Order: sequence, then C-alpha cells, then structure tokens
Amino acid sequence: MNSNLDKVKLSLIKRKREEALFRFYGLVGIISAILFLIIILYSVISQGQKAFFTTFIKVDVYFDSEIIDPENKRNSEDIQFADFGTIISESLKRKFPHISDKSDVRELASFISTSEADNLAEFIVKNKNYIGESKIMWLLASSTIDVIVKNPEMEKLIEEDRLISDKQLDWLNQIKSNNELKRELNKNFFTKADSTEPEQAGIWGSLVGSFLTLIITLILSFPVAVAAGVFLEELAPKNKFTEFLEVNINNLAAVPSIIFGLLGLAIFLNIMHLPRSAPIVGGMVLALMTLPTIIIATRSSLKSVPPSIREAAIGLGATKFQSVIDHVLPLAIPGIMTGTIIGMSRALGESAPLLMIGMVAFIVDAPGSFLDSSTALPVQIYLWKSTAARGFVELTAAGVIVLLAFLILMNGLAVFLRQKFEKKW
Amino acid sequence: MGENIKISTKKVNVFYGDKKALENISLEIPEKKVTSLIGPSGCGKSTFIRCLNRMNDTIDICRIEGKIIIDNEDIYANEIDPVLLRAKVGMVFQKPNPFPKSIFENVAYGPRIHGLAKSNDELDELVTNSLIKAGLFEEIKDRIHEPGTSLSGGQQQRLCIARTIAISPQIILMDEPCSALDPIATAVIEELIDELAKNYTIVIVTHSMQQAARVSQQTAFFHMGNLIEVGRTDQIFSTPSQKKTQDYITGKIG
Repeated sequence: MNSNLDKVKLSLIKRKREEALFRFYGLVGIISAILFLIIILYSVISQGQKAFFTTFIKVDVYFDSEIIDPENKRNSEDIQFADFGTIISESLKRKFPHISDKSDVRELASFISTSEADNLAEFIVKNKNYIGESKIMWLLASSTIDVIVKNPEMEKLIEEDRLISDKQLDWLNQIKSNNELKRELNKNFFTKADSTEPEQAGIWGSLVGSFLTLIITLILSFPVAVAAGVFLEELAPKNKFTEFLEVNINNLAAVPSIIFGLLGLAIFLNIMHLPRSAPIVGGMVLALMTLPTIIIATRSSLKSVPPSIREAAIGLGATKFQSVIDHVLPLAIPGIMTGTIIGMSRALGESAPLLMIGMVAFIVDAPGSFLDSSTALPVQIYLWKSTAARGFVELTAAGVIVLLAFLILMNGLAVFLRQKFEKKW
Repeated sequence: MGENIKISTKKVNVFYGDKKALENISLEIPEKKVTSLIGPSGCGKSTFIRCLNRMNDTIDICRIEGKIIIDNEDIYANEIDPVLLRAKVGMVFQKPNPFPKSIFENVAYGPRIHGLAKSNDELDELVTNSLIKAGLFEEIKDRIHEPGTSLSGGQQQRLCIARTIAISPQIILMDEPCSALDPIATAVIEELIDELAKNYTIVIVTHSMQQAARVSQQTAFFHMGNLIEVGRTDQIFSTPSQKKTQDYITGKIG
C-alpha cells in the first residue's frame, strides 16, 4: 500500500509541474496578446488624435472693395467670383510688411487652406456691409502648416525634409509668438467627405456610406438567413440534399470576401446594370457574404435550445412549426442576434468586395441615397493610406479610430442584447 | 378485470434503425385506472409509452409495426393526425420542462393553440381550474404571472401536469414523473395521480416498484424489449407468474 502511495506522490510532482508549465504558457500568451494590443492602440491613437484637432491662424482680413467689387454694384453673382485668394494673401502680407517678393507672397499665402477663399466669398455675400472694412478672423491653416504645428520635432529637420522653407518657418514662429495660432476641434473631419486637401477631408461621407450599406446588408441578410436557418435546422427532412446544402453553407462562410466582390461585379453591375459605387450594391454583396455567418449562428443557437422544450410543446399538441415559432425561436433569439451583429461588424470592416464594385472612388459629397456614389469606412482608410500628402497620415489613423469605435460599439451591443434577452430554464 | 379497455396494443414492434427496441407487445390498458410500466433501464418501457401519443414520430430513425388502438381507432392509421391525437393523449415528462414563460402562459398555451377558450375570461377560468386540479393553485395564486421556471422541482412538475390537464385529454402519459424529485414532492405527485385517476386514464413509467405498488391498479413488467407479465398490481407484487418478474421485484435483476 505504501509503495503505491509513493508512486502516486512521484507522479503527482510530474503532474503538478505539467500544470504549472501550462499555466505559464497561457500567461505568456495572454501577456503578449495584451502587449500587442497596447502597441497597436497606442500607435493608432497617438497618430489619430492629432487629426481630431486642427490649426487656425488669426488674420485681420481686409475686404478690399477694389478687389471684391470694383464697380460698386454690390451684385452677389459678381462678388461670389471675386478673387478672395488675393484678399487672403494681401491680408497676410500686412502682418509681414517687409515681404514684397512675388514668390514669397505665394509661400505666405500657402499658410491658409484654399477652402477659406470660398468661405470668405460666402461670408461677404451674406454680409455686404463688410466690403471695404476689415475684420479679425480665425482662418483654417493649410495641412502643411498644421502638420508642422502638430509635430514640432519636424522644425529641426533640414529644409528639404521639412515640408516648409526656412522663411516659412520664421514666419510661422513669428505668428506663434504673437499668439495668433490656435488649435480647435477639426469640424471638417466629422462633417465632410473626401478631399484632395487633408485639412478639408472628412470621415462623414464614408460613415454615411457604410451606414447605408449596412442597412441594405441587414435588411437582405437577416430575414433570409434566419428563415433558412430555421428551415434547415427544424423543418427540412434530413436527407442527402439537405446535408449537401449544409456542407456548402459552411464552406461559403469560409470563401474569401473578394470572391463575393467579383460575384457582385459580374451579376449586380454587368448583368443587372445597377449603379456602380452605390451603397445598394455594396450592401447586396456584403449581404451575400454575411448570409452564411447568420445561417450558421441561427442553426447553432437553435441547436442549443434544450429538446425538452420542443417535447413539451409537441406533447401538448403543437405542430412542429408552432413549437419552433412559439418556443424554440424566442429562446434562440439572443444567439441569433449575437451572430448577426458579429456578421455585421465583419461586413463593416470589409473592404475587398467593395473595391470590386467600385466603392473605392474619390467622392467629395456624402451620399444622400442608396443609389448615390459612395465609399465606406475601411475603403476610405485604404484611400487615405495610399495618398502621398503628409497630412493624410494622421487622417488614416483617425479613420482607423472611428472604425474601431464603431466595431467596439457593435460588439458591445451584441453583449448587451445577449444578456438582456437570455432566459434561464 | 371487467373494465372498459381504453388502449389496446397488438403485436407492436419498434425499431431504432436496425435495432429492435420492442418486440411483440400486446397490452390492454383499462379506462380511468392507473397502469404502471416497470422494468430495468433500457427495457423499452419509455419507448412504449412514447408510442401511445406518437412522440416517437419526432425521431427520424424510429419505425413502428403493429397496431395501437385507442377508442377503436388505430392511431397509426394514415388518416390519424398526430397533433389531434396528442390533444387527446397528454404527456408529462421525466424532467419538469415548463416553458420559460409565466405560470399562466404555461397553462394557457395548450388551450390557446387548440382554440379551447372563446374569451379571455374563459381562458382565465380554464387556467385556474387546471391549476386547482393539479393541486398547485393555492401555492402560487399570488404569483401566477411569475416565470414557471422559478418554481421548485415538484411545483414545476405539477405545473406540467396542469398544462397537460388544460387541454382536457382523456389519457395522461407520465414518463418517470418523479425521478427528478425529492420524496416529499414525490408523495404530493402520487396523491395527485390517485386523484386524477377518477377522471383520466393514466399510464405511468416508473423505476420505483414501491411507487408502482402505491399508485397503480395494473402493472406491466418489461424486460429487454419484451412484455414479460401484466396483471393486477397486487397480484404482480405478491404472486408473479413469471420467474423474471419474481427476480426483478426481489432485486435479483435490474
């Protein structure tokens, strides 16, 4: 007996060692995962938060009537097309009276975003009494200036690598020391669509595009997938054909998304002639991609409903269909919703199939309907990433933050719904 | 025994795929009496009881031969609708399985799908009466809208009985209704079975020979898919005619 216990003791040491080793491996895995997550989040957020704010320069704008309305007619049509670029550069020049060289003036004018000329035109059309007057205004800085202000370490670079010349840097520092510089929330980022100028580009257009696309995806995929899942799991006879369907649906869930994009290109665009780049087509393609995911989620949550519930209903004389609709499906709903939201968040993050159907265009307005040309969040990130101008680096990271925020929101919703609707039995 | 025969089975064979689960079962079940089916695990008694309301239809690989006659109708005939049959032959399961809904909804579900109550008042009355008959009403009358799953195991099982009574069946099948319950809850259910036998034909599968002796008037002993012996309960337990029955009730097999 004693020798037996000794053997157990010996093997216990080994077993305990194995357990400790396994724990250690697990811990290493978790810690490295957390570490990578922190690195990713840090790099994205540290870059991206810069794009949420932007630089404004204080300028005493003189609305020279000679430039705006030389004939003194106060005609809105004419005023609108006046050369407000010159108004800005002349006003800037008065800050630096010693500048007269033409190329210097041009370099100085490049401090201000080109969009401000249009904004001033709009302002004057509404407030004609300012013609001939001057007004202190905060004008949006151009992206190059914005980048230098946000990344002060760039000032130390040599001129060729710095984006701005030594002269421009001197002027900038002068503006800074006069307290004529401020940073404010970047409204353009949250309200505008794409632009060639980083300081005027925004995420709003692609956000609306993604939203419209996902609505189509949800409307098309959810009812079809739930109906298919219920039919296959509960009502269909179990035979070779349904087995074949089952295997193929599982396979479809693993098909690379770009294949669905090609399918959409071939059928929705080339055969059905639906509009290119439109959320409706994007939604249809993503619905195809999401269908198998929701079908599988539906089936597995139906499967996890205990058979005793079905027996109870059948035993009371409910038909098969009644037992499913009245009892089994309501119990499976939390699982189905979780699966749907997971599928939808995958669709939200998907870019490859959208590239195929042309949702990768340069579009400067937010889409107003399902048929308008549009981009989507991940595609916008991809577009900005492949643009050369320095200001887009921060925009790209900011786009990633917005996308991540929506993914977290959707997954949070999935957890919430699951807990709210889950019933105990 | 001189009573009306409610259910009679003739040479019933049941197969699961290639495996024969029941062989040549011919059994007569008297009306408004309790018949208990006893036998060791896997002897086919549950399979048999599930044939009586065609619950086995839901199992794809299950195949049945022979005749089961209830009120002069072969329930496996083509023109018989199993849904209609189950409104006449109710069933209580081994593990209490209330729907995860309120107590009221649990009882009201059957009448509702069968259209048994014309108005809400009528439905209320039907639910209350069923709960009274199942001996549950007094205990839960203040929380009739609370979930059925919040009740104790014994109460849940009586709720399942109330749910079955609510569709006014003529026959109630009980598949080991007390195996998941403690002795006190079991005693309550056994009393209830006595009470119900005045109005319903009851067939009960049980593991416990004492239970069979206490509640039933007729007992059938199953062994390895065969019906070994059937007779009056007191007779089976005092003077069984078969050696196997003798062995089982004295604890030598099973």
